[in-house]
Amino acid sequence: MGRKIGSERLGDLYRPGKKVRRRREWRGVKDTLYDYSRWLHTMGVLGKFMLNKNNVKAFFRYRWMLNYLAVPMMVDRHTAGLRGNQLRIAHTEYDLVVEDIAKLMANMFRADKNTGNDEEFSKKLVILDENEMSHLLCGFPNLIGVGREIPAVYVSVLLQQDAVCPYIDVAQEYGLSGDVCPMPEAEVGVSIDDDYPIFGACAIQCNTTCDGSLMGNGVIARRLEGEHGIPCFQLAAPIRHTEEGVQEYAAQEIRNAIKFIEDCTGETWDWDAYFACAKRFNAETRERMEWLDLSTTEYPQVIGANLALYTETVYMAIGGKVPAFLEADKKITRLDMLSLVSTKMISEDDPEQAIYDMAHLYENMIMRNRTHGGYKVLLDDLWRFCEQFHADMVILWEHMSCKALDGMHGLFEEQAREHGIRLIWAVHDLMDPRVVPRASLRQDVNRYMRSVLREEPLDPSLEEIDDAASW
Amino acid sequence: MKDLKHLYEFERLLEEANNDLVRKAQEEGKICIGTVCSLVPEVLLELPGVFTVRLRAPRTGSMDMGTYYMTSFLCEYSRALLERAIEGGYQFLDGLIAPDACSMINRAVENMELLNTMSKEKFFYRYMEIPMKADDNGLSVYVSECRSKILEPLHEIYGIDISEEALEQAVENHNKICRLLTEIGDFRKEENPRITGYEYHMLTLASYVCPKDMLTDMLEETLEELKAREPDDRKQFRARVVVAGSEIDDVDMIKLIEEAGALVVADRFCFGALPGREEIPLNQKEDVLTQVCRHYMYASQCARYMNREKIQGRRLYVNQLAEEYHADGIIYEQMKFCDYWAYERMVGTHVLREEYGYPVLSVDRPYAVGSSGQLRTRVQAFVESIEIKKLRKSRGGEK
Repeated sequence: MGRKIGSERLGDLYRPGKKVRRRREWRGVKDTLYDYSRWLHTMGVLGKFMLNKNNVKAFFRYRWMLNYLAVPMMVDRHTAGLRGNQLRIAHTEYDLVVEDIAKLMANMFRADKNTGNDEEFSKKLVILDENEMSHLLCGFPNLIGVGREIPAVYVSVLLQQDAVCPYIDVAQEYGLSGDVCPMPEAEVGVSIDDDYPIFGACAIQCNTTCDGSLMGNGVIARRLEGEHGIPCFQLAAPIRHTEEGVQEYAAQEIRNAIKFIEDCTGETWDWDAYFACAKRFNAETRERMEWLDLSTTEYPQVIGANLALYTETVYMAIGGKVPAFLEADKKITRLDMLSLVSTKMISEDDPEQAIYDMAHLYENMIMRNRTHGGYKVLLDDLWRFCEQFHADMVILWEHMSCKALDGMHGLFEEQAREHGIRLIWAVHDLMDPRVVPRASLRQDVNRYMRSVLREEPLDPSLEEIDDAASW
Repeated sequence: MKDLKHLYEFERLLEEANNDLVRKAQEEGKICIGTVCSLVPEVLLELPGVFTVRLRAPRTGSMDMGTYYMTSFLCEYSRALLERAIEGGYQFLDGLIAPDACSMINRAVENMELLNTMSKEKFFYRYMEIPMKADDNGLSVYVSECRSKILEPLHEIYGIDISEEALEQAVENHNKICRLLTEIGDFRKEENPRITGYEYHMLTLASYVCPKDMLTDMLEETLEELKAREPDDRKQFRARVVVAGSEIDDVDMIKLIEEAGALVVADRFCFGALPGREEIPLNQKEDVLTQVCRHYMYASQCARYMNREKIQGRRLYVNQLAEEYHADGIIYEQMKFCDYWAYERMVGTHVLREEYGYPVLSVDRPYAVGSSGQLRTRVQAFVESIEIKKLRKSRGGEK
């Protein structure tokens, strides 16, 4: 970025007070053409999406759908400054993510009572939580797991920074305290506002990430089951997930959830289908372990913002069900703390063990396996990873009201000093830029880099950007 | 009404975590195990030779150290406990059992451990998995956790008898106190109760933080005293309320509500009696531990239970209490930053108001309310609104 590495001033692309950028970035002939081809691909996916009347109806029914106009902008933002292989890796990942989300939404709107209202198809859909692993659906090849919160909340806010502010306001107007995590708060707000598509044979809710997330499910189930008659199962994944004593409990929850889906859908669990997914999931894990090995060298193959989103998609939402992701995995590399989830190989032929494997994966869901299970998986493992990957600095994302992480604030600081690790606290709010704007987040890092490390930015134009109004 | 004879003594016991009775029991050779949540079955910590105290941080002032270690985003209860632990206020404990039930309390105890705040040689920490659903699977993990995290450490580290007979004895002793408190609490159902919510709160609170057997005599005397106690001719309250919500161990909270014109007739909060001070029934068909765990799991009204039956049951239970104790309204309260009760309070408020037709006051509050003018004003306004509703109803107008 910047002249030192052969790019223009990237901050100049932003237009103060405006949503969209001034123009596209110049990356040299070859990379600009490649980047442009991927922009065309994204526009193609969007265009194809809009050819479906259900999807068009959804644009007029659901407030959050408006954010999807910004898909190309999100990809541009997350690929800014990238060149060569890294640009190609990022686009490979984003192409798949965009296609996968488009497919997920098309399925949703086909079944949704408010849009397509395909009742037969709706019976094939099982609602999952936003952060929930999808492996329970691996053994039901005729069913499709759909997380309604993913397009409505999680992706929306990646596309447009203030996308879910109205829903947060709805939840607070309804009486929810403003001091809870804004993520489940926004999800609940969508439900209170009756702005989720209505479909599905049943729903599998899970205590995914935090206490707030668990509680939000109760509110959502109230509407799903009480109003729409969609039966809900609450899958309890143990909190002390590293302890042997809870594994049978976790496994029984998986058995109960499978039985619940069978009862609600009339489908039967298919071990062959499950093990086919398990094989792909293991293959993806093997790739990931190789990339982790690469990242422990002096030349880590770490790349940008696409990393987390892609990893979440592959690990959690795909779970070995889609071969295209495995093909892509073979081309790319990635690493961040969010990605440091389970690398355990799961059984490819033993049904009894497979139940425990699924239980293990549900216990080790993204955003959960580090924040729950005691301080060892949070504090101790962080220093272990720093050593493994030769990291000398940690940026800790202190998300608003994330109690599990905030509760270790002081000990992070003390132990970082003991380990000789530089620590930057970056306070952020994933859902509400009114609380923590992007500019504040950048300041947290910039201030440390200037005042502690005495560093100058490679591209000074990025230090202060007026992007408060941008997508 | 004439003051209760032992009220001052109960109030005095609540001024310190390490109160006179705790010290006395330890001098007699008993070991003291701390807990931080109602989800740890306290009766299992009342075996011969051991007693339990639910941790509080009375007279909390500054929480600077707690806030440094855990930020201001965590509830003040968890920060106050950590602050007190760092100050050395829980050095009397011989062990601390924490459920990994809410992240904040779990982190508070983990901080205590990592900061080496306890110094006794045999001191131990245990973190329990607590089921999130009340069902057979939940019961199985509850039983195994109670066995491995409570009973076995007590036996292995301190040589405590954990036999069936010892457990039965513990339950019987526990039930004795519960019977007394239930009988005393039933006076709150009277039209003009002979006990105030504040007085009852003192008795109940003391039972969570003192060796129970040392309270028996005082409670028995108080019960006899109450049987003969004449309430004032003129009612000292203008509305009867159920208080439902997250933990209240602040002696000023109920007092503040009652000073504002309400009478707290039912205490549906952690450190309250409903549930918590009901008897644990035992039968001869299965082992005591399983029966105890089943009782705690199904009786608990903790907002953490996530299955639909439990969720709906929580609101139903508040309604039942309101009917049984003839309440005019409900106060849903939560400590600030409590995730569980933030959601439960939100929905409960709507359900009790819209589906059951009660006037509901919905408030969040700090750990120590002191003489909060804001809270006082809100309760006063709530009481007035109940009075106006009653007046309209008596004149045949809207409810």
